[in-house]
Order: sequence, then C-alpha cells, then structure tokens
Amino acid sequence: MDETVKKYTTRKEFFKQYKKKSRLQETWNRFLRNKLAVIGLFIFIFIMLAAVAAPLIANYDTDAITINVPNRLQSPSAGHIFGTDELGRDIMARIVHGARISLVVGFAAVALALFIGGALGAIAGYFGGKIDEVIMRCMDVFLCLPDVLLALAIVAAFGTNLVNMTIAIGLSFTPKFSRVVRSAVMTVRGIEYVEAARAIGANNTQIITNHVLINCFGPIVVQVTLYVASAILTISALSFIGLGIQAPIPEWGNMLASGRVYMRDHAYIVMAPGLAIFVTILSLNLLGDGLRDALDPRLK
Amino acid sequence: MSDVLLEVKDLKKYYKVPKGMLHAVDGVSFDLEKGKTLGIVGESGCGKTTIGRAILRLVEPTSGSVIFDGVDIPKLNKQEMRHMRRNMQLIFQDPFSSLNPRKTITQTIEEPIILANMIPDPDKRFMRVMELMDTVGLAERLVNTYPHELDGGRRQRIGIARALAMSPKFIICDEPVSALDVSIQAQILNLMKKIQREMGLTYIFITHNLAVVNHFSDDIAVMYLGRLIEKAPSEALFANPLHPYTQALLSAIPVPRIHNRPERLLLRGEITSPINPEPICRFANRCNYAKPVCSQEEPSLIEIEPNHFVACHLTGRG
Amino acid sequence: MEIKQINEQENTLEIKNLVIHYISDEEVVKAVNGVNIIIKAGKTLGLVGETGAGKTTTALSILNLVPEPQGKILSGEILLEGRSVLAMSELELEVIRGDKVAMIFQDPMTSLNPVHTVGDQIAESIEIHRKVSKQEALKQAKEMLELVGIPSERSNEYPYQFSGGMKQRVVIAIALTCSPDLLIADEPTTALDVTIQAQVLRLINELRQKYHMSMLMITHDLGIVAEVCDEVSIAYAGRIIEHGSLEDIFDHMRHPYTKGLFDALPDIGTRRSELKPIKGLMPDPTNLPSGCPFHPRCDYVMEVCSQSLPENKWLSETHCVECHLYSDTNESML
Repeated sequence: MDETVKKYTTRKEFFKQYKKKSRLQETWNRFLRNKLAVIGLFIFIFIMLAAVAAPLIANYDTDAITINVPNRLQSPSAGHIFGTDELGRDIMARIVHGARISLVVGFAAVALALFIGGALGAIAGYFGGKIDEVIMRCMDVFLCLPDVLLALAIVAAFGTNLVNMTIAIGLSFTPKFSRVVRSAVMTVRGIEYVEAARAIGANNTQIITNHVLINCFGPIVVQVTLYVASAILTISALSFIGLGIQAPIPEWGNMLASGRVYMRDHAYIVMAPGLAIFVTILSLNLLGDGLRDALDPRLK
Repeated sequence: MSDVLLEVKDLKKYYKVPKGMLHAVDGVSFDLEKGKTLGIVGESGCGKTTIGRAILRLVEPTSGSVIFDGVDIPKLNKQEMRHMRRNMQLIFQDPFSSLNPRKTITQTIEEPIILANMIPDPDKRFMRVMELMDTVGLAERLVNTYPHELDGGRRQRIGIARALAMSPKFIICDEPVSALDVSIQAQILNLMKKIQREMGLTYIFITHNLAVVNHFSDDIAVMYLGRLIEKAPSEALFANPLHPYTQALLSAIPVPRIHNRPERLLLRGEITSPINPEPICRFANRCNYAKPVCSQEEPSLIEIEPNHFVACHLTGRG
Repeated sequence: MEIKQINEQENTLEIKNLVIHYISDEEVVKAVNGVNIIIKAGKTLGLVGETGAGKTTTALSILNLVPEPQGKILSGEILLEGRSVLAMSELELEVIRGDKVAMIFQDPMTSLNPVHTVGDQIAESIEIHRKVSKQEALKQAKEMLELVGIPSERSNEYPYQFSGGMKQRVVIAIALTCSPDLLIADEPTTALDVTIQAQVLRLINELRQKYHMSMLMITHDLGIVAEVCDEVSIAYAGRIIEHGSLEDIFDHMRHPYTKGLFDALPDIGTRRSELKPIKGLMPDPTNLPSGCPFHPRCDYVMEVCSQSLPENKWLSETHCVECHLYSDTNESML
C-alpha cells in the first residue's frame, strides 16, 4: 500500500493507470448488434442531414416557394426528382425544407415537454404524498384531452405560427412525460442506494441529482425518440386540417392536404410527403426500440 | 461505570394503514455498550429492520428516545442530524441494490467524505479511499470498476468501506451476509470482526440467521411482532432460552450434523397481525405453554437472571 | 464422473454426462459441465452447491425446461425411469410434467397465479392429468389442502390471502396432486422464515415417506440436507465433485471444497473466534479456471490441479470424489 502511495501521488495518475470501463461503450455495442435499430439510426441521420443541408440542396425561395404555374404537375424527372406540385414548385425542395420544420418543431416541442413535464414528474415521484396527488391530478386534466385537440385549441386561440405550434404540441405532451419521469423516479427512489445516500447525509437535492435522475435516463431517452415521432405526426395532422403551418411554407402535412385533390392522376404529389412522414416516424420508432433494448439493464 | 454508547427507550414506530395502525416497532428498550455487538434476531414482520432504520432516523420514530453518546437523536433538527450521521452508519443487506450502478467504487466510497466535507483536497481524499479499500480487502486495480462488474462479496465490501468512510463510532449491519454465498459469508464476517477490533466500533447486527449471530454478537435480542421478548448474552441465550418463541426459534435451525440432532419444537398456528394488536401476549396463539393470563395481559420485559431479560408470564411475574 | 448402477429399473432418475451451456452473442456461460446423478426409487438426493454450481439448470433440464434459445443441452442423457427425456416430444413431456415429475421452486410469491383461487390452481393439475370433471377435481383439491395442513374451506381464497409459508404449502399441494414419482424441489424453503421452514420441511418429509416419492432436493444449506436427504451430491462449477451417503459426506468428507463448506459454517454448538472461510471467489462460469475448477481456492492445490481435470474415483461402494488428491497416482496421500 505504501508503495502505491509513492508510485501515484495524484488520483489523476492513478486513474490513468486503471481506466474506467465505459458504460456508454457497452451500451453502444449492444445497440450496434440490433440491425433494425442501426438501419433506423442511419435513416434518421440521413433525414437530419437532408434537413440541415436543405439550402444547399434546393434554394428556398426559387424552388420551394415561388409559384411557377407553367411548370405544374410535372411527373418525376431528372430535373425534379419528385416532380412538381399543383403550383409548379419542386416537390423535393419542399420536402427537404419541410423536414427542417418538422424536425425543429418536433424536437423543440419534446424538449419543452421534457423540461416542464420532467420536472413536475420528478417532484411528484420523489416526494409522493399530497404533492404527488396535486401534480398528477393537474396532469390528468390535460391527459383527458387528445393531443391534437389541445394543440388545436391553443393554436386556434393564439394563432398559427411556428412558436405557437411548438408550445401547443409541447404542452400537450407535458403530462405524458410527467408520467414517464414520475414512474422512473418512483422506481429508483425505492432502491436501497437512495436510502444509503440518505444514510451518509445527502439532502434531497443531492439525492435527486446524484442518484435518482442519472438512473432514470434509460426510459426517458427512449420516450424522447418515440415522442418526437409523435410530435412530427401531430404537426402534420394539424397542418393537414389547416390549423398548422400555413401555405406557402412547405410542410409535409399541408403538402398532403393541398395535393389530395390531384391524387388520382398525379399520385407522386402525395406520395412524396406521405413517404417522408412514414419513413421519419418509422426510423424514429426503430431507433427508440433499439435504444430501449440497448439500455435494458440486463446487467446484474 | 458502564460505557453505554446507545440507549434506546420505549422506541415506537407505527404506520397508518387503511385498517388501522400497524405497530412495526412497539416499545423497544435496550442499552448498548461501546465496543460491543448486539444481535437483533427475529423472523419476517418482527420489526428488526424497522428498528434499525428508526434508530438512524431513516424513518422517523413515532415516539421514544434514542440517546447516542448523550444526545437524543429524534430531537435533532435536520442540520444537526446530518452532522450526527457521521457517527452512525448502516450496512445494507442487498449488495446489488445498495450501490448506485452508475458510480464507480471510488465515487461511491468518497461520496460520504465529500458530503461531510471532511477532506477537501481531491488527492488526499483519494488516498483515504485507497486506505479504506485496503482495509476491506479490495484490490487497488478495482478503483474504476462499476458494481455490475463485481460479485456479491466484493460489492458488500464496498458497502462496508462506504460505511467506514466517515470513521463512525457505531454501525448497524442489516443482514449484511444473507445475500452472499456461504463460503463468502465467512470472509465478510471475519472482516467485520477485524474492523471492529481495530477501530473500536460498536455494532448492531440484525439477522434472521441464529447460527451467524451467535458467532458474532456479545448480546442477543429476540424480537417478535415489534416487541423485544428476550435479551441475554449470547452464551446464556443459547444455553438457556427462556421464552417459548426463542426455544422454538433455536430448535428450528437446521443443524448440519447427522448425529445428536436436537429435538424440533414446532410452533402451531400463524403469526398474528401487527395491525391494531391487542394488549395481550402476542405469541399466545402459537405458544404450546399458553395459560389464561397470556391472553389477558401483555407481559413486560423483566430481568430474570443477571442481564437476562424475558417478557413472558411463565417465567415468574410477567 | 461415472456412477455405478445396479439395476436400471430401481433408478427413478439417471443423468449421465450432462453438459449445458448458455450461449449468447456476448459470452458462453458454462452452467453444467458433465454432471452425473442417480436417484434411486424412494430416495432423496440432496444437490448442494452455491451460486454458479449449475443446480437449477440441471433441475430444469430434467423436464427439458432449460430456457431457450440460449440454453443448449450440448451432450448427455437424462433417463426418467429408463426413458430418455431428451428424446421425448413436447406432447409426451406435457404428460410427464406435473404427473410423473413435479417441481417446486424457491419463491412462493411468484409460483402462484394471483388471479386464480388456490383451489382452482390445484384442480388445474388434476384436470390436466386425470380425466375427471371439474367438480371432482375441486373436491380432490380440497383433500390436498387438508393434506398439507390448510383448512379446506380456504380453497376459494386467493394467493394474496395466504402467508409465505402457506403459499409454499399450496405449491407443494399442487406438486403432489398426481402422486409424482419424482419431486424436484429447488430451494423450497430458502425464502421462508426459519420456524416456517421447519414446518414445511417436516411436511415434505411426511409426504415423501407416505407416497414413497423420490426427491431431488436442491439447496445450499447442509442443515436441510441432514434433515431430509439420504444421499448427497456436492456441485461446483457445473460438476459433481463429491457424492455419497449422508454418513460419507458428513462424517468422511474428502473433497477440499466440501471440507471448506463445512468449515465455513458457523455451528451453534461451538463459538469460535474466527470462521474459516474458503479463500477466493466463486468461479466465473464464462471463464472457468483450467484443470480442476476449484484449484484457485484450494488449500491442498498441487501442480497437476491446474493442468487437468481430476477423474472420478470411487472410495467405497457409495462414496466417490473428483480430486487429484485421491487419484490413483496419489494413493499414498490417502
């Protein structure tokens, strides 16, 4: 023991000698073994890249917005990979720009829901008792309303712009997140190492941050991916019925709505946005499932 | 003059349940001298786990006093209690769930030191962690391992190291070896005894395993349905158990011998409910020696022989 | 390890050279590595071992219940009254399970279905294996309850209304309804309080004598072995390293691990200052030591122990051991 003390005088040196086995690495390896999940990941990364690179792929103004009637309803060709819509706009351009909107609103809404719902759920789950009752009954009120309806109400009252949509969808998901976080926290709260933390003198804040929350990540991360999918679907649904993103801003849902009339003879006009929605949701679900399996504490 | 470190007086812990009041711990009193080990034994529902938690105020006692080193624990405020916790620690039963799976050994052992701000300098603190690991027999190469990489015995050593981190005077060991293999149990028990000798610790050893508690304790207290029904030095308890429950408990232990096997005293009936118990002897319904008085009056704990306490109407005046 | 056999018909169960591994993407768990077991008609064998000894896996394999797809029976034979279990179809197995061979598990809390009454659960077994009406089955179920010491009026109650000990009695009742030839009990009393354990063990003893059942009692507790068993097999790292009658094992133990197990136990009779533990750790079934799996922990280890597996050696008609200390070349050591 004394020899050791002489060899490594600082903990840094000692840690360099004996490295931590990265749990992240192990989880990542497990994830990689699930082929479907990896496919989902790739597809999703592809969609993200397309969204990020949208301005490089197609100019927003000239291709996606500017009406070009002579060019209307062209079938897919070399110039227009997905064809043109009823107003002559390049569908592919509209798809990739639409992707931006879907993804940004989707993630932002879920982030909002996670922040508010997560905090409420964690407090309810950790403290229990009356605090739990009060918070959960409030959440129940919101849970009674279907997501779309709640988002609809907010949007109808405050107007249909991107920020409102984000807030609307975010608020409608808040109660769901609160439940997920609450149950994760309640599970962890009952495990002995939390009691052990109290025994060594940690206070509630320290326990929640050091012990409870970091052990809740698994189920929360999985829910995030699945709810992002749900949020994107909700945005599209709202836009489809005209209460979401308004024309001429490209959004998959409103593209479906305006293209519906031409479906019979020009199927491509709805297929592109329809497929975009489908593929995005699918990839997120595969990703979410894969994450759930990879994060599964099969460890002893 | 006795060197009493812990004085528990009429400690009670009741839980409100739909059917009424659940008497988990119902008026337990005992003294514990410095450097000694008190074994608390009993079966499920006897309250032994609750009493351990109540003494440390991990659950709030309903009433009664716990005087530790002259200080009445239940009367301290939050600040004072957190400070007091440095002196009294707990070793948990389940080596799997008592360690945070996301923290390395080092992080787990140094957390109490950090919380109490005992060694602000990280390098010095790390040296203390190394020292503790050495004391409990954990190899230095394990500093950055996670609990799931280790077996039950090693995990329990981490739990012990964590309990020792703040140099406490008193440790409650809640079934510390029950979850371990037999061949490992002996290792951990020897370790705990060695630490006690070297650091002058006082232990309360909670278990249902009578063979182990005999080996480990100076005195043994037997609990049944929240009450202390017998307390005596270990040899005296095993040589001359006075309470019928203690007798049945001792005879029920499966003996690993094929010759001279003791007679088995079997109990009849089932344990009564701890909810709204009547003020009678709670063991009466199962006792082979029950007399009418047993179903009328609750016996109190009386010193029948020097240091040998029993709560039973049969052994003299109850 | 080979066990001599006298007359096949006398043996309720014979397991020969059983090897079972759990194979997953990440690792191979070598749970059972050449186990040989014989249970004679009407006798009880205690299978003793700690974590990783392979006891539960062996027990499950008797009814071909080893969890798939990871659990693979790589080689070996399992003969139930002369018939090979591994050769049976699923249909044939269903006939045997619960009827010829019954199994009781450790945790009574999870062995019973919470949404059915105990009477129904006992009757289920009767209905499956005997061609009787539901009423008749329920009637027999009530008789079984009385047999295990539970008033038959309680047959309409649900598991949650019973204590742990009583639940385990119900489990025993279910197991015994069809008078099985072999009862496999996997740590049946470990989860119970010691006074309840005493009651349940006595019940098991009475019933096995009454029904002339053979029994495989899996446990880590040598006290229980002394209580209910006729013969003992000591398992370590998926092998049977010593086997014998009660006397052979308790009075004349030979294998260092067996000796270590006894030494590590706190005996109520004597109060020593220090227990004598077995040094080292339980073997890792994904990474077993070379040669004899016990050699890293053995006080009597020799060079040959890390190089090759010891062969089985018969010390008497009933007692055999797998240890280099007793191999033919080491006769002088005895």
